[in-house]
Amino acid sequence: MTTRLDRELSLAELEAFGQELDALRQRTLADLGEADARYIRRVRAAVRGCCWTGRALLVLGWFPPTWLLGTLLLGLGKILENMELGHNVMHGQYDWMNDPEFAGRQYEWDIVGPADFWRHTHNHVHHTYTNVLGMDDDVGYGVVRLFPEQRWKPFYRWQPLWVTIQALLFQYAVAIQHLRLDKLVKGRISKEEVKPLARRFGAKLVRQWGKDYLAFPLLALLLGANVLAVLSGNLAANLLRNLWTFLVIFCGHFTEKAAVFAPEILEGETRGHWYLRQLRGSSNLSGGSLLHILTGNLSHQIEHHLFPDLPARRYAELAREVRLIAQRYGQHYNCGTLWGQFATVLRRIWIYRLPATGTA
Amino acid sequence: MALLSLALARHVARGLQPLRRLCASGWLREADVDLCLRLLHPALRLNRVFAQVEARRWVADDMLAIELRCNGNARDWRAGQHVQLYLEQDGVRHGRSYSLTRVTTDGRIELAIKRQPGGRLSNRLLDRLAVGEVIELGQAFGDFAWPQEQGAVLLLAAGSGLTPLLGLLRDALARGFAAPVTLLHQVRRQGQQAFAEELQALAARHANLQVRWAFSGEVGGRLTAAQLAALPGEHLLLCGPRGFVEQACGWWCDAGRGGSLQAESFSPLPVLAEADTGEVRLRFARSGQQVSGNGNASLLEQAEASGLRPAHGCRQGICTSCTCLLLAGTVRDLRSGELFAEPNQPIRLCVSAPHGDVEIDL
Repeated sequence: MTTRLDRELSLAELEAFGQELDALRQRTLADLGEADARYIRRVRAAVRGCCWTGRALLVLGWFPPTWLLGTLLLGLGKILENMELGHNVMHGQYDWMNDPEFAGRQYEWDIVGPADFWRHTHNHVHHTYTNVLGMDDDVGYGVVRLFPEQRWKPFYRWQPLWVTIQALLFQYAVAIQHLRLDKLVKGRISKEEVKPLARRFGAKLVRQWGKDYLAFPLLALLLGANVLAVLSGNLAANLLRNLWTFLVIFCGHFTEKAAVFAPEILEGETRGHWYLRQLRGSSNLSGGSLLHILTGNLSHQIEHHLFPDLPARRYAELAREVRLIAQRYGQHYNCGTLWGQFATVLRRIWIYRLPATGTA
Repeated sequence: MALLSLALARHVARGLQPLRRLCASGWLREADVDLCLRLLHPALRLNRVFAQVEARRWVADDMLAIELRCNGNARDWRAGQHVQLYLEQDGVRHGRSYSLTRVTTDGRIELAIKRQPGGRLSNRLLDRLAVGEVIELGQAFGDFAWPQEQGAVLLLAAGSGLTPLLGLLRDALARGFAAPVTLLHQVRRQGQQAFAEELQALAARHANLQVRWAFSGEVGGRLTAAQLAALPGEHLLLCGPRGFVEQACGWWCDAGRGGSLQAESFSPLPVLAEADTGEVRLRFARSGQQVSGNGNASLLEQAEASGLRPAHGCRQGICTSCTCLLLAGTVRDLRSGELFAEPNQPIRLCVSAPHGDVEIDL
């Protein structure tokens, strides 16, 4: 199924390839300024606008037009906060602004996973070891087998079910990644190591649940509004975000033409190699600017992986040049529509649930 | 538009403790609370210090004193300390350090800003900072203090080094300090004698105060060891560019005058010449360590070599785990060779090498 037609590059070519991408990065860095700062502030304003309007509408109760719009707006606000604001700020994309509100190392996002956990599992582990089997836990998140190179276990037989549950509870799946429960079960780490992490996770969980499922419903009660309408609206908004982020993230690295790598690839990996691995392991989604904003520009997953610390609003313009560079070096540039790419992800989930079909 | 006066807003700020606690424990987002507070008064914030410009006056040809009134978040500030003043330009929030020349109990402060030829911030501040404008400040820091012991005091200032000393002097005289005080302010040329009229008025009012000026731009105008030896005083407070401070400290110690000595200098740290990879001084501010290092290895490796354990991840500039503030000095990005010298700028330790002496918030 992995049918990429990439040319193998000589060492000299790899170096030139890396230098071209480095130069592209430098050009963009030198151009950052007012417009980028204005953009991220507008995104923040949009997040506030959506969330606050949504919550206000939900107080009006079950009246279908307001309940639906309120839920959608709240969901939209949460999606934007998660992807275009939180994800991108926490990558340090706006550190150059030197504004404490957009400081990557301090930002805390509106999901159950503590930001510090994610800065480790995502910024460090996933972005350093992208699609390297056994190193990048994002490959299937431990519950799905997506590539024939992954060793089959009987557990995977039911993976269409596991992956559905994961999609519905996606923010929790991302949150517990850092707890390394699989290693705890296998006895490779001790309870004492997990305990402080679990406590921090618990504290964040209490805050998130306290906000969405207690504080706002109680506020509704005080205002004489329908508690259940508020509660269910919040629940639905969180569910919407879970499904959307799952969709976007699974399309980023597990499409038909995404490649995985054996750990040996890391030995003596040069900057050129690293860039090449990011290019081959990631996949883009084509679409309009609304799609790009709603995905936090992870529709440009390739550019995000090549330049994780450049402001995401630049990825669209970078993509044009990256595509040309990839072409010049004979590398496949993996891009397709959202539903087209997702169909190939679903196919992987279905095919690799069984051991016998591992005939790549 | 402000719904409250700043004086009233300062009182409101005191009552926000429960909100501060909710933000600190993560139940509320501070930026959202600040957005609401700004509707009451543009300078009102939960924790950050914002201040409104109340007056501006020229105190020398090239120095402007601005009077500000802070929101309620300036904690225990003293004259003679420094404070960061932030200004946004091209999307970047730049910070520069200025001395507090006056602090009053009702939240008013005065800063004096000297024009830096080609300076990015000072020119904008001097020419365009308007009365009524709201600007952000950091919390004050620095431990320059008036001597506790009895005895005559000698104040030596060069250029804008006058500003912290003036703050301390005003305070001391207002408290009734009676021992002799001599102030010598060295400036390049006539017209740069900042606060000259006020200093003369103070000297006229307080018989124990003597004020003198030296003009380093004129022949024989620069302070010499002999002149310093002739100036009275047991306790020396000294502030100016690094060269001036180091020289005067040397003369003071060589003369064996005893008493106490406090000195502060404000020049940028020395920068390595191109292709020079010699020894540099690294200061890790939070851990209070100063070590010698080199211009080749990353700051992460060098910090680890001196026993520190900074947070880190990928060690190749991807994951931003090791991001940390550059307090002073210049660093070189090991990937691009680019130099960064903006004080208080976030840098990644794993891909930054010192390019001259640096101070890091670690």
